[in-house]
Amino acid sequence: MKYSELTLRYFDTAAGAGVLTGLDVYRGSAGSRAQGAWVQFDVRANSGIIQAARFLAFGCPHTIAVSAWVAEHGLGPVRAALPESVQGLSERFAVPVEKRGRLLIVEDAWVAAVAGALQR
Amino acid sequence: MNRPVYLDNAATTPVDPRVAAAMAQCLGLEGEFGNPGSASHDYGAAAHALVETARAQVAACAGASPDEVVWTSGATEANNLAIFGVAHYYREQGRHIVTARTEHKAVLDPCRELERRGWRVTYLTPDSAGLIHPDQVAAALRADTVLTSIMHVNNETGVVQDISAIAAVCAQHGGARLHVDAAQSIGKSALDFAALGADLMSLSAHKVYGPKGAGALLVSRRARGAPVHLTALQFGGGQERGLRAGTVATHQVVGMGLAFELARTAPPSESDRIAVMRERLWKGLAALGGTFRNGDPAHSVPHVLNVSFEGVEGESLLAAVRGRLAVSTGSACNSTSREPSYVLRALGRDPILSESSLRFGLGRFTGEGDIDTAIAVVAEAVSRLRRLGGFLG
Repeated sequence: MKYSELTLRYFDTAAGAGVLTGLDVYRGSAGSRAQGAWVQFDVRANSGIIQAARFLAFGCPHTIAVSAWVAEHGLGPVRAALPESVQGLSERFAVPVEKRGRLLIVEDAWVAAVAGALQR
Repeated sequence: MNRPVYLDNAATTPVDPRVAAAMAQCLGLEGEFGNPGSASHDYGAAAHALVETARAQVAACAGASPDEVVWTSGATEANNLAIFGVAHYYREQGRHIVTARTEHKAVLDPCRELERRGWRVTYLTPDSAGLIHPDQVAAALRADTVLTSIMHVNNETGVVQDISAIAAVCAQHGGARLHVDAAQSIGKSALDFAALGADLMSLSAHKVYGPKGAGALLVSRRARGAPVHLTALQFGGGQERGLRAGTVATHQVVGMGLAFELARTAPPSESDRIAVMRERLWKGLAALGGTFRNGDPAHSVPHVLNVSFEGVEGESLLAAVRGRLAVSTGSACNSTSREPSYVLRALGRDPILSESSLRFGLGRFTGEGDIDTAIAVVAEAVSRLRRLGGFLG
């Protein structure tokens, strides 16, 4: 399978991989290994601002690359949405249309994580 | 620039330099470029002689008689000729075929096409070691069975089937001719067409350091006291006893002949050397933990190692080793998604492990340094992906 340069860069570096700990950390996950994709985000939020984000991802290179990108670009005001729409991420990473369901898993995991921060 | 370590010899092999040189001798003005079917002049006669020498070399390597060799473009065409050829010739006798779920697509797809045309096919499931047992074949044979097709060496796992025992079952049945896809066998496992008792056998050149685009179907002329009959699939010239029309590609069959000759005369130490390297590779990968060897090593060729890695996703594993290691996976891969290997699924592997497998194909030109590099590259990739995926082991 061919991957875009951006996909390979984020897949290879996977900056932001890992977990966060602390009372101000909120965690969300979605998918399952049995489904072929599982993503978890930890976000550290204070005063309505996401100050740090980390991710874990089991899945294809697109899943890992997009999760890494979201963790990098999701900092800032807490809102129940990805920093870019699923459609936008699909185009940015040249994700084949049949694999876009994986991006919905990324979205669900992110939204689940920030939901905790929003409820606070 | 350093090229990736090549451990995909079960997919294809580089052409041996000696083979390439022999092929080149058939191409230019100074070489034997004549049409081997042109009996009226020296050019044709010389090419014909080379073709017949190659036929004898292939026959000698496979334990067949030269008059049992029918040139094809490869094992896929040979499989198609065997399956469709037998099915159509004996269609009045019956329309039932027996094969295995772990066969190559070049056998399964012709069988499925025959199903669409009204034939019935029984697909046998191997045991967890990958073996089809003769009693399974016996139980599947029916009065209207005209063909059984079982591969010799599995292309994904390297597991070797007991062909002679299966042939005995087919012979007892009487009407079920036995076709064997032996594309992976030459140079890897002892092969004797006559002794095994098969009626038809498909061979490939490019799996054994010969050229792509060359293969053969062995058609027994003596099995059960009578030749096997086939309906030809293509027409136009009557070459290959009318079974495979078209000008024989002299350079291709000369390459295949020499490649088979080199395989036949290779010292046993070559296989021993490869077996030692395969075990070295397995030991290195097993040290990672969460690794599963697919196929029974006691019944497999030394050139293939198939391993599933727990806690990693297969597509990412291939991507993580890209540029450093050339290996293969049994997963069906298209532009958008991957399906777990149907071969490993048939062995009972769960879908996740079936999808996270790598096939390592060792070969004549594989060195110990390649094995050490492969271990290091896979270990780094698996460890990284497990960390990324939060795999706790």
